[in-house]
Amino acid sequence: MARKILCVAEKPSIAKAVANHLGGTVQPRNVPGLPWLKNYEFTYNFSQPWGQCNVVFTSVAGHINSNDFGPEYKNWNSCPPVQMFDAPIRTFVDPEKTVIAKNIEMHARTSMALYIWTDCDREGEHIGTEIRSIAMKANSKLEVKRAKFSNIERAHIINASQHPVSLDERQANAVAARIELDLRIGAAFTRLQTLQLKSLIDPVQELKVLSYGSCQFPTLGFVVDRYFRVQNFVPEPFWYIKVTHVKMDIKVNFNWKRGHLFDRMAVIIIYERCLDARLAEVIKTQKKPTSKWKPLPLTTVELQKLGSRFLRMDSQTVMKTAEDLYTKGWISYPRTETDQFDRGIDLKRIIDKQTRDNTWGPFAQNLMNGNFRQPRNGSHNDKAHPPIHPVNHVVGSQLSENERRVYDFVVRRFLACCSEDATGEATDIEIQYGPEIFHTHGLTVLQRNYLDVYPFDKWESSQELPPFTVGETFTPTEAKMVDGKTTAPGYLTEPELIALMDANGIGTDATMAEHIAKIKERQYVMSQTKGSRGHTDNEGDEQDHVLVGRGGGRGGRGRGRGGRGGGGGTTGARAGATSGVQEFIPTTLGVALIEGYDNVGFETSLGKPFLRKEMELQMKAICEGRTTRNDVVQSSLDQYREVYIRTQSQMNVLKASIRKYILGQNG
Amino acid sequence: MTTTNLAQEISTHLASKSLYPSQGWLDGFLTSIRIGTALPALKSTAQFRILASDITQTLDRSVTAAFPPDVLDATKKERILPDPIPVQVLDVEDIGRSRWSQVEAIEAAERGETTKGKEIIRVVQSEEQGERRDDEAAASGGPHKVLVQDVRGSQVYGIEMFPVQGMDLSMGIGSKLLLNNVVLARGVLLLDANSTTVVGGRIATMHEAWKAGRKARLKKAANEKGV
Repeated sequence: MARKILCVAEKPSIAKAVANHLGGTVQPRNVPGLPWLKNYEFTYNFSQPWGQCNVVFTSVAGHINSNDFGPEYKNWNSCPPVQMFDAPIRTFVDPEKTVIAKNIEMHARTSMALYIWTDCDREGEHIGTEIRSIAMKANSKLEVKRAKFSNIERAHIINASQHPVSLDERQANAVAARIELDLRIGAAFTRLQTLQLKSLIDPVQELKVLSYGSCQFPTLGFVVDRYFRVQNFVPEPFWYIKVTHVKMDIKVNFNWKRGHLFDRMAVIIIYERCLDARLAEVIKTQKKPTSKWKPLPLTTVELQKLGSRFLRMDSQTVMKTAEDLYTKGWISYPRTETDQFDRGIDLKRIIDKQTRDNTWGPFAQNLMNGNFRQPRNGSHNDKAHPPIHPVNHVVGSQLSENERRVYDFVVRRFLACCSEDATGEATDIEIQYGPEIFHTHGLTVLQRNYLDVYPFDKWESSQELPPFTVGETFTPTEAKMVDGKTTAPGYLTEPELIALMDANGIGTDATMAEHIAKIKERQYVMSQTKGSRGHTDNEGDEQDHVLVGRGGGRGGRGRGRGGRGGGGGTTGARAGATSGVQEFIPTTLGVALIEGYDNVGFETSLGKPFLRKEMELQMKAICEGRTTRNDVVQSSLDQYREVYIRTQSQMNVLKASIRKYILGQNG
Repeated sequence: MTTTNLAQEISTHLASKSLYPSQGWLDGFLTSIRIGTALPALKSTAQFRILASDITQTLDRSVTAAFPPDVLDATKKERILPDPIPVQVLDVEDIGRSRWSQVEAIEAAERGETTKGKEIIRVVQSEEQGERRDDEAAASGGPHKVLVQDVRGSQVYGIEMFPVQGMDLSMGIGSKLLLNNVVLARGVLLLDANSTTVVGGRIATMHEAWKAGRKARLKKAANEKGV
């Protein structure tokens, strides 16, 4: 009998794609009992020592095992919820997945090796161990290997098939710890909340349970925090001095170096002293080359943030679409933290494939003709996957509308990364007028470079400035004292929420979109398309609020802008249209829960990111071998148990919050 | 050293800082000290106590320079006050930031949070309360507006036209400034590093009351202005 290798992918689409790369065109065989489950059988020549083998290539569909408490804990009234912290957990094959497990067992019995093709990330590693345990039960002599791959492009897959590696037990352990903690903490608090609070809410709102999740609550907390900032906001007037001067028929606006002040008397006195001075003197003129840096290689978090900003999709849809594109072999694995390309990767080969595109083909060709530049390196590397990039060329008409837009974005971003920074010349002029300094800034874009393929960044020439020389004096055409008013920040938008989750360690880049979807599904938040309220766009964490009549400041752009000092002027560059961005408003239930927990105790409030962040760091520590699954589970459970006990003893605080917001009673 | 000589030494030392204590204060000080304390220590004790005192009570009005009687006359566009005038700070505000953003910062600090970029950081409070304002002071870019009081009790606003070292939200209420050749414009002092020296000190009771009421005052002011 020829030797047989059992290959198992994480989902059917990957099994099909990989099997067809390895075996040519392979006819799928049905597996009785599950219409969508297919086995692909072919022969393939692996590297030594396996060599030529028969292959059965099948798949699971995500996790195959379920974890739950025993039947004696099923009834929520059978025991106090606190027992969920240490009640025994059973792990078993999910009843819906028994056919999948049987299929693996059957083929494992007659195979000499199990070759795991789950996605190369923590979750995939853990699913790999689930598959292994099922297969080994049927055949304890199996050799177990896993394939390391980050896209479904043919050459990459064939290369991966020849270089099997071992499962990463640490990553699998981190997931196991996370699963146990989520189950225990989720069950304990969900039961506690539901048993104690649901009856209060029932008259107003129909709910099955009041679910708790250790990522969902901090996520909700961000939304509620912003909501209160918007609600509580008090607009305030401010004043500033604006100088304009017409020279050579060009009207030049000079801005006050102080920006604006919140004291009318002070500005009046300063303004008078400016007017008294009559003459303004040019104290600085500077022309210098400037550039707008091309973007960093694309990570998951950036894809989600920019996707919801520019592509009018929520982050979950963006991720789903990106995964479809990955499965079909058009883009690389879309779950990655890496924003640096490995020097070894042949970027030109990837660019070359895009030269045949009708839209950006000429741009790609231009890169091939000598204008290629090595991408910038960001500071993140998950050592597992490269940044998201196109793998093959596909014409837009072959894709769904969403796929086309995400693919378009990924390709443009990639080509931009491989292009050159945009260059320009910046002019800065400062004048002294009385005791005060005013300045103006001009920009001439000289070479657009990457901007030609990446319309998501805006960088445009300003009006041309007339020449000024240092020491030159003039009487300004006009000097005005102007007033303005601060405006409230907007509700939290999806890109802002993702950025907050990212910065505060809530969820991984792979799960953030799910947590956001969850709090919508739980009716803790509602989302609406931003724009209905006419807010100026602003980042919520700026020191001051958006100023009416002056562009809302959007500061640095997320990751990796730091690093390079000096040189680059960033003026004039503002993100493009943001219509279609989702913003979140908490429901009364969401507000009541977060405020309730905050009132129980800020320090470890479940609505704050601190506890979860610690847990997330511990997961990383397990992956890096600095701690063990058991230690992490125990210490995290201790922390949450403490919060549980405090919550239970102060349940009246939570109830008061529910009464206040949901029943409209004074709390 | 005789008591008279000692009084002389102390007076001279304080006068070198343009602080002229009243006879009453000097007498009180001399009876409060332990005999045999070294002179340099006495001098610094005296200075420390004066700086912690209310100058309207403790300085000699007949020799200490003060604001002119028409100091608040807003019709006078600009005057220079040549004498070195010691004053004490009754209030300090950051007028470069909205009051509401300062309220938000105080509330975040009360919750034990601060932010670093987008990251929310839990502040572990280990030290005594009172020094925590340092974070906020560091973030306070100014310019600052102060309300100061001279030896006669006249109160005048001052605007920090150019940064004055030590002038920020962490300065103690009651801390002393020395004004020298300061510009008075429309009844408001224009302060800069040349004309203004922060000598320091604080009046503990006033400072505590100011600190305790700051959030409420900011809130009230924001609501009044924001109409």
